[in-house]
Amino acid sequence: MRQISAGYTKAIKELLREKAALFWTIAWPIIWVLIGSFSFTGSAPQGVIPYIKGSIAISMMVFALMIAGMSNLPASIAGDRANGLLAKLKSMPIKPYKDFLGRISAVITLSLLAAALVIVIGIAVGARFTGTGIEILQAIGFVFLVICASAGVGLIAGTLIKNLQGAIMTGVGIAVITSAISGLFAPYEVLPVPLQVFSRVYPISSAQASIVHLLAGPDMVAYNPLTSGQITLTIALSFAFLFAGTVLYSRLGWKLD
Amino acid sequence: MFAVHVEKLVKIYDNRRVLDGVNLDVPEGEFYALMGPNGSGKTTLASIIAAVKTQDSGIVEVYKNKPAQAKEFIGYVPQENFSSPKLSGGENLMYFANLLGYSRRQANQLVVEMLQNVGLSEEADKRVAKYSGGMRKRLEIATAIFPGIKVLILDEPTTGLDPTARRAFFNMIQEIMDKKTSIILITHIGSDAELASRVGLMDNGKMIAEGTPDELKRKHAVEDAITVETAMKSDSVVSVLKDYSINGKVTESEVGYKIYSRNGDKILADMVRSLDQAGQRVMRIEMARPTLEDVFFRLTERHLQEAIE
Repeated sequence: MRQISAGYTKAIKELLREKAALFWTIAWPIIWVLIGSFSFTGSAPQGVIPYIKGSIAISMMVFALMIAGMSNLPASIAGDRANGLLAKLKSMPIKPYKDFLGRISAVITLSLLAAALVIVIGIAVGARFTGTGIEILQAIGFVFLVICASAGVGLIAGTLIKNLQGAIMTGVGIAVITSAISGLFAPYEVLPVPLQVFSRVYPISSAQASIVHLLAGPDMVAYNPLTSGQITLTIALSFAFLFAGTVLYSRLGWKLD
Repeated sequence: MFAVHVEKLVKIYDNRRVLDGVNLDVPEGEFYALMGPNGSGKTTLASIIAAVKTQDSGIVEVYKNKPAQAKEFIGYVPQENFSSPKLSGGENLMYFANLLGYSRRQANQLVVEMLQNVGLSEEADKRVAKYSGGMRKRLEIATAIFPGIKVLILDEPTTGLDPTARRAFFNMIQEIMDKKTSIILITHIGSDAELASRVGLMDNGKMIAEGTPDELKRKHAVEDAITVETAMKSDSVVSVLKDYSINGKVTESEVGYKIYSRNGDKILADMVRSLDQAGQRVMRIEMARPTLEDVFFRLTERHLQEAIE
């Protein structure tokens, strides 16, 4: 337990002291919540606008979670590899999975902090949410799936891409591109059919649609993401990403030969 | 008892034998230097002993265990700076103390002790990004000398340090290590290796020579260089110096003459007397002792610095 908490404490301090990580994970989504809330509500009826703002805040919260997992996590891994820390750790009596648990716990903490801040700012600029207690719990479950899938992608990037800048930019690139083509930044209805299929299969956009459905209302989502088949697919793929990332990191992340 | 035993070690990268049948024994408490140019295999050898890499064949033992089973005895300081620049010196050490499983109380106590040992108590709360190169290396040494460490492996620890900082660094190492801790120093700097009790010279994946610094110089016939400056240059000076030169050669330089001789310290006084008797006034006399770089040159016909470049 002490080894996990050692990795956690180090990683969280480093993340909170890294201005670029804080900007992209917290400030950038908040900027988009502000821009979106004042610019993209268009000619919607007054009664709907708070829920459109709610839906924008949720999308940006998901984006913050993606950046935390897909960029901050590989940056932490690649950075430690580049500066020789992984070689040092390999010479010490500790197991890679404990290091992994410490790192991922730090990313989850930063993710939740970013998510909470984005939602608070959203509410401050007029976002409103619906949902019963059960639906809020279900939404939290989908938030967890976004974190799992993003961390999985981040672990894969951090393991396979040895260069620090390469790992960061790949993570940011995957987050931005998949957000754009999966309907995170644009309404699902305007996507071409192949991308609509991608949006339903990609666990992060599917989880985002589910959260919007639960907390901003079904009118804010163009399809029902809460069918049992869709939920099963989202859960399975989120854990598949995490599993693949964990296995790769454990087997190759510390491999220095 | 050998702290480290290496036998017929082979490591292959991309069909190249980076280590080619290396043998090495480091007794308990010995300060051993592995010296050679970049690419000679010394860092690979150190990282295999430190359980960071694995060999293709051969035996590596640390206190009769495979390195992976002896990690609690090994303190490894890689060449790269691995301490986190975003954390303070104290936070970095606390991270390693926690990784080693010490309780909070023990870890706090150890961090204070370690910082004191490496002379960084005053800088404990400063972020490592603001440390000098020497301070950062001292901090990283502290991560490798927690209680229980029996083999300390230092990979090029003085790279980038000025001569004064290098000397201070080795003084610190000698002060903080007890007599049972073995030190393996990886270096391409002869003056660093001179401080070790034994030196292994490596080139192209092989151990080309091994012994104490003095033994290596004697065995590989490296001579002292003596420069003599007299009031006037003349044939009689050359004639006297010829008798003291190992090969009878006297080289004229801008300021005087240069000869090579074994046991230069023993002939120096006699040589000055002979010059005096020949009516030559000695203005300046200088003797340069042979270095381990000279031994490397003698063995490989390459200067160590050229080999590094």
